[in-house]
Amino acid sequence: MTSVPLSPTDATLPKVTVRRQTASGRVALTLFVIALIALVAMPWWAKTGTIRMILELCCYIAVAQMWNMLAGYAGLVSVGQQAFMGAAGYAMFVLAQTFGVNPFLAIFLSLLVPAALAVPCYLLLHRLDGPYFAIGTWVVAEVFRLVASNMGWLNAGAGMSLNVMKDYSGFERNVAMSLLCALLILATIGGSYWFLRSRYGLALIAIRDNPVAAASQGVNVGRLRFMIYVAAAVGCGLAGAVYFMAQLRINPPSAFDPMWSNVAIFIVMVGGIASIEGVLIGTLIYFIADRWFGEYGASYFVVLGVMTVLVALYARTGIWGAISKRWDAPWFPISRHLILKAEDRA
Amino acid sequence: MMETLSTSVLSTHGLVARYGDFQALYGVDVTVNEGEAVALIGANGAGKSTFLRAIMGLLPVAPDMVRLGGQPIGGTPTDRMVQKGVAIVPEGRRLFSGMSVEDNLRVAVDQAERLGRKGGWSLSRLHQLFPILKEKARTPVQSLSGGQQQMVSIGRALLCQPKVLLCDEISLGLAPKVIREIYAALPEIRGQGTAVVLVEQDVGLAQSATDRLYCMLEGRVTLSGRSGEVTREQIGAAYFGGSHAVV
Amino acid sequence: MQWFDALVQGVLLGGMYAQYALGMALMFGVMRIVNVSHGDLVILLSLIGISLATSFGLGPFWVMAALVPLAVAMGWILQKVILNRVVGDDPLPSLIATFGLSLALQNLMLQIWSANSRSLPGGGIESRSVEVAGIYVGLLPVIVLVFATALTLCLDLMLKRTRFGRALRAAAADVEAAAMTGINPRAVYASATAIAVGILGFAAVFQSLRSTVAPADGGAQLVYAFEAVIIGGMGSVWGAFIGSMVLGISQAIGFRIDPGFGVLAGHLVFLLVLATRPQGLFGKS
Ligand SMILES: Nc1ncnc2c1ncn2[C@@H]1O[C@H](COP(=O)(O)OP(=O)(O)OP(=O)(O)O)[C@@H](O)[C@H]1O
Ligand SMILES: [Mg+2]
Repeated sequence: MTSVPLSPTDATLPKVTVRRQTASGRVALTLFVIALIALVAMPWWAKTGTIRMILELCCYIAVAQMWNMLAGYAGLVSVGQQAFMGAAGYAMFVLAQTFGVNPFLAIFLSLLVPAALAVPCYLLLHRLDGPYFAIGTWVVAEVFRLVASNMGWLNAGAGMSLNVMKDYSGFERNVAMSLLCALLILATIGGSYWFLRSRYGLALIAIRDNPVAAASQGVNVGRLRFMIYVAAAVGCGLAGAVYFMAQLRINPPSAFDPMWSNVAIFIVMVGGIASIEGVLIGTLIYFIADRWFGEYGASYFVVLGVMTVLVALYARTGIWGAISKRWDAPWFPISRHLILKAEDRA
Repeated sequence: MMETLSTSVLSTHGLVARYGDFQALYGVDVTVNEGEAVALIGANGAGKSTFLRAIMGLLPVAPDMVRLGGQPIGGTPTDRMVQKGVAIVPEGRRLFSGMSVEDNLRVAVDQAERLGRKGGWSLSRLHQLFPILKEKARTPVQSLSGGQQQMVSIGRALLCQPKVLLCDEISLGLAPKVIREIYAALPEIRGQGTAVVLVEQDVGLAQSATDRLYCMLEGRVTLSGRSGEVTREQIGAAYFGGSHAVV
Repeated sequence: MQWFDALVQGVLLGGMYAQYALGMALMFGVMRIVNVSHGDLVILLSLIGISLATSFGLGPFWVMAALVPLAVAMGWILQKVILNRVVGDDPLPSLIATFGLSLALQNLMLQIWSANSRSLPGGGIESRSVEVAGIYVGLLPVIVLVFATALTLCLDLMLKRTRFGRALRAAAADVEAAAMTGINPRAVYASATAIAVGILGFAAVFQSLRSTVAPADGGAQLVYAFEAVIIGGMGSVWGAFIGSMVLGISQAIGFRIDPGFGVLAGHLVFLLVLATRPQGLFGKS
């Protein structure tokens, strides 16, 4: 046994290294990079129908991960992220269709709209207490929908079509869709991972575990929540812009469809809240269930609803929570381990 | 000896309690006899409040760890503890803010009625003990002075008609005159045959007001004895640990 | 005159919203829970009421007599089976549980009753009108407003004067201290939710008499209840009542300006209150 010296100037201080990557993490990172490359290469191996399906899958992952950042880390439960999806979607349609901006450039420009809207929304909503915040986000999404339904230059209730996409060949569109899928995943999953491993990540985890204590340790809880809220709005906006570009049509009910919140909540709660792994697992489950049972319509949603209730009652940490309790093999390791160097242990 | 004659009304046996990963009590054995007043002293963070909370069923503990009249009752839900005759004046008073003095007290009267607890305490009796509570009956509790709030908190516990009254630092933050006023009520309370456990920072006050005392340090009992007989040196050692540290 | 008419219509509409808002204010005040399926329960009760009326030929009064006890029982079961397990400092579990319940209920109703809009036959009461201060107003909305006022009054008196009301206020102020005073929080919670959902029994009858109901309508009712509670200020039943009136008036005036603007006007007034008086019109800061 080594006795740990107390004085930091002591020459015998054991050399420690901070280990943040694990074997499982390295495997997962490799797979993640391969997946990104496969996404980019889709036009050469997938049919247009498959690309559309994968694009939808990527949108689910992105929106669910944004919800996960909000609810799982920042303690902000939102049921209205569709507000930002629709806002970015509409912005992209207006830029590309009305003003003739290149649609692929328009996607990125359109992200300014959710970012700009998120600021006043947060400033208003953060005044609401815990659960009321959630219903407040719903009202905001409803306001967006009603405003869009009443605006003449958004073609009101009838919605808009993205006819400019006809200028591009099918292959060109597929290449664009594939690149956008890869970018969406990189931005939401990669971005979240990067964020959680930064110094903000530590602060976030501190907030999640105990907001009061975190605040007393000098973490600016309010500012961090604000940042995440805006970032999640942009992430959802990107998903919305990509999704509606693939749809080629947008109208108020589809743009601000609360279905996105239902799905995000189901994915994150079943997969495992406050983990990126959980989002991936949950999306896979949802996607498979949707293909297999989607045709049952209402009964299928009854089952989804009941499962969400059961998870909230009996399995708050979801599937990934159960897995990680048994095996310590994170795909996206965030915690830091102190390792004593071997020569000092002798 | 007196101890052999009297029967214990409340006792703990190897009481352990934890907050998540943090263990706050390491096997505490305390006995309170019928009608007796017992002081519990110790430095900040020694675990005194935790001890009282564990008894009240506010922290998970095993049944055998707490006995009331010999019956194992550890971990009983808090409202059932009140039904069985244990009441607490909690740390920080914990009044129902937004409600008047009278309504705060009425809640206890209502519940004692509902739970079928009978005893000598009534609103009018309480008003004799603390006349100011009658005067302020309609005042919202949050606008009372600290001492008056403490009186409401004590009154609320008494109206639960307890056999054992647990008091957590009832003198904290009060002027000496108010402390004397509150402590003057103690004989009257004990006159009902109610046993009292007093958590108190002021060691002298604790000694003069009780029959026996226990001193706690870092979740363990480090000293116990008759309040009048323990010496300053013994208390000093038990309070701060050091060379006299007890296992 | 046209605006005075809108004002009167708004107050009458507020009477409807108050019946949703009271229960939400009560549940939030006591448990800090928002039941996301609040609106879906109104719709569920309405649809059950309509089915009862059509199968057994019951009039509105008898439907109400059947629905209110049913609603009370539903609230009590909801608390015992779901909410008691998720009540606590963290708002997430209760939100998720009731959100899942809302999703399940909506789709269950869709399966049983289809997506069609239905309404409760009122035997002529829904089309009768009375003259008040020179303008004609529907008799039914007036009855709704009278009921809403009476319910608010009863709830207020119950909270202030009864043993149960005191226990409820005590648990709302500090649950742990309430338990230390002998209150069984779970029992108080179960009664509170039973009352909150019980009021929805009245609301369901009036809602389905006044207009139509369809399985997907629950979300809107939840949002109106929420807005009314926030506008009025949390923590008092009269706050919820007045908030409902303000919401009703905003919607009615918005509707006069442009029929597509009615609901939006209500949302905007809500956001305005949130921006300028976040504690609500009657809340203490
Ligand atoms: N809710 C809690 N969560 C985690 N730890 C706690 C909690 N409450 C108390 N503790 C810890 O338990 C230990 C005992 O605390 P306790 O409040 O029982 O002390 P005490 O003797 O009453 O102190 P004081 O005289 O300051 O009131 C302390 O180390 C404290 O930090
Ligand atoms: Mg203490």
